[in-house]
Amino acid sequence: MNLNISKCLLISLLLAGLSAEARIKLVALPDRAATVIRLDNPAATVVEEERVLTLQKGVNQVDFSWKGVFIDEDSIRLSVLDPADKVVLLNVSYPPGEGALVWQLTAKEACNARVRITYLLSNIDRLVTYTGTAEQDESKLLLESFLVLRNFSGEDFEKARVLLDYGEAFEQSIRHEEARQMLFFSQGGVPIEKTFKWDAREKPWDPSRLDANVGIPVYYAIANRKEGGLGNNALWDGKVRVFQKDGRGSTIFLGEDTPGFVPVGEKMEIRIGESRDVVVTQHKRYDRQINVRRNNGGNIVLFDNEEQIETVIENFRDKPAVLVLTQYIPGEWSMRQNSHPYELKNHDTLEFRLQLKPKEKLTLKMDYVRQNIRP
Amino acid sequence: MRKWTASLLLLSAICLARGAWAGINLVTLPDRDSVQLTIYNSADLTLVREVRKLTLQKGLNKLSFGWANTLIDPTSLRLRAVDRPDAVDLIDVSYPPRINSEAVWTVRSKIEGEVLVEIMFFTSGISWRAFYMATLSQDEKDMLLEGYVRVSNNSGEDYANAQTRLIVGTINLLDRIAELARRREPWGRPDMYQVPLAAPMAMRAMAKTEEMEFGVAFDAVGAMAPKEIIKEGLSEYFLYTIEGTETIPDKWSKRLPSFTPVRVPVVNLYRYDEERYGPQVIRLLYFKNDKKHKLGDTPLPDGQFKVYRSVDKEQHVSYEGQSFSKYIPVEQEAELNLGTARGVRVEPKLMKTQTLNYLFNNKKNIAGYDEKQEWKVEVENYRDVPIRVEVFRPLRHQFVDEIKYAGDYGKYDRQDIMRLRFVLEIPPNTKKAFTYEVVYREGERRDVQ
Repeated sequence: MNLNISKCLLISLLLAGLSAEARIKLVALPDRAATVIRLDNPAATVVEEERVLTLQKGVNQVDFSWKGVFIDEDSIRLSVLDPADKVVLLNVSYPPGEGALVWQLTAKEACNARVRITYLLSNIDRLVTYTGTAEQDESKLLLESFLVLRNFSGEDFEKARVLLDYGEAFEQSIRHEEARQMLFFSQGGVPIEKTFKWDAREKPWDPSRLDANVGIPVYYAIANRKEGGLGNNALWDGKVRVFQKDGRGSTIFLGEDTPGFVPVGEKMEIRIGESRDVVVTQHKRYDRQINVRRNNGGNIVLFDNEEQIETVIENFRDKPAVLVLTQYIPGEWSMRQNSHPYELKNHDTLEFRLQLKPKEKLTLKMDYVRQNIRP
Repeated sequence: MRKWTASLLLLSAICLARGAWAGINLVTLPDRDSVQLTIYNSADLTLVREVRKLTLQKGLNKLSFGWANTLIDPTSLRLRAVDRPDAVDLIDVSYPPRINSEAVWTVRSKIEGEVLVEIMFFTSGISWRAFYMATLSQDEKDMLLEGYVRVSNNSGEDYANAQTRLIVGTINLLDRIAELARRREPWGRPDMYQVPLAAPMAMRAMAKTEEMEFGVAFDAVGAMAPKEIIKEGLSEYFLYTIEGTETIPDKWSKRLPSFTPVRVPVVNLYRYDEERYGPQVIRLLYFKNDKKHKLGDTPLPDGQFKVYRSVDKEQHVSYEGQSFSKYIPVEQEAELNLGTARGVRVEPKLMKTQTLNYLFNNKKNIAGYDEKQEWKVEVENYRDVPIRVEVFRPLRHQFVDEIKYAGDYGKYDRQDIMRLRFVLEIPPNTKKAFTYEVVYREGERRDVQ
């Protein structure tokens, strides 16, 4: 442990009652034998450190204090590893007005006791970032994952063992206010599924009437499965930056996204940017009441509504494209005729998956009746 | 790139033996061999890629990279060995505490000697935009279209002999690069409020950019021909690569022609659409980005069009207006909105209104009726050139009988359930008129088939 850091541990036979300054001035620091930083829970980081305490026979005071270190004081615990049967923790007390606690231990005989101190430490964590480099034909990518350790806890760690959710523990030194980035894994040849997505609730129906450009979001999806070279572990959430090879030994940057946690078997969807070369224009061709039912007073109490939506999709690209088009029909309804098959995602959401040929202009029509509408 | 050129240091392997944070020995200051800039126009982002020759020792080496007073995103820093990737491993990159704008790479080399490394990062402060100049012929049947790109450097760095590439397209970007560049801690702090540093001088001075005259900033002194721009599609973007290399000093801009001037056939299109423009006629120039219009090789990036018109044989021109154009994909139609038209009049008039077919309920109250409207639309071309006029007419609601129309209405189509469109071709100094009749069904009349 570096002397400049502000956490210290000392042992004394003196009773509590000394001032904080006095405790700090007493230098009886046992060496830290092993430190483990466990970063498997994003909410809090567990630090475990082992020490050898030289205990006298009888009652011993072990004073643990900290200043400028973000320790959750309720989380601090002391476990006697060896000799566990000869040392008993009697109580823990907290001196007033400072970051400190005092353990009272009793030893059956004078001994060197190996103990483990465990606590939750704030402001030390890890980030995961990804870099994807797609082939020029966008069929596959090289996925590299980087781990960034950030330490703003107030404590320097030298040669600590770092444990993550999975994978081998590794030894790493990291100082207070330091960030350290390292390659976590690298996997080439991961298949890419590229899709364009248009959502009737989010996008304007007639982009030609707008003065601003309307882009259609473009996604890369990669499966966290063995077949694609992944699938060993979940992919943690983190920023993904995607590049594409340009065929001349260089790359361009395609875009970035934070796709969220991806369990094994699921897909990581990365929104890379927008395409302005696929244009979707939608109009309602008719919208009229039918089967109108009235009460004795002649008022309408129930009716159906027949509607037709016509969607024109233009692919100005010289390559094929897969467009996922989402439509909504609220309430109770039945489809009379649809030009293309769809998947019902829920009661009011229809998803059409359209294969567009290069330069193709495709018209999709939906004739449906919304039923039993009450005015 | 004077600032960070000076700050790339190769550190000795010896320092590792003396402890990870022992004093650092400067061994060499490597020169940059080449640099490539890939500049985006949809975001304040430039991908910088440079190649340097480093002399590595066998074993562990440390490389320090500093970027003080620049707008580099430190989280984007990447380093890789270009020619010997098998012999050089990047162990990690550390952002040392309490030292601003510096990263230290730890590299393990299996060989001793010179190795080419590529350093890649994002920077802010370099931008480009497209703009166009169009000169209509006297008869307005075509226009001479000139396209330009203008690259501006406000990054705080001079870029010498850089291969320059421009990206057309909209990328998904989560954070502004300029903000990442100003972070006190490159990767932020866990759950703590971020204290931004003061903006560097490069940002404060951002507005003060001088434009170089065409040709002056070219590094090839005495270049006899404009540089070629190679265009290619990558993913959903278009990449423009400027021939050779460019030198763009800080605070300077450069203008380059983006294509050879081309004479494009155009249609003078006038539009009357009250919902969109109010009660006025808008002048548009219509063309298509296709072979028929002498274009169609690449999309046209969004940019300002300044439109002039030749007025005599001495090549004098008049200014017709300007328009910001959206991105125009290959084979898509394009319209340049030149604003309110003075030489064309469109006047819709309601000539007759009549209600009929009343229905009454049991209490003898009105339950429904039809309202018939007769409209007359006059269209007059006061100009001495032929024009096309689009007249959009809104419907009050969708419950209407079939529309009847008569006169010189040109082509008619129903755009959707709420909108009619008439397209007329009008010779010079000619007036045309047409009528249309709408029957609106109100109340229970809507239920009568």
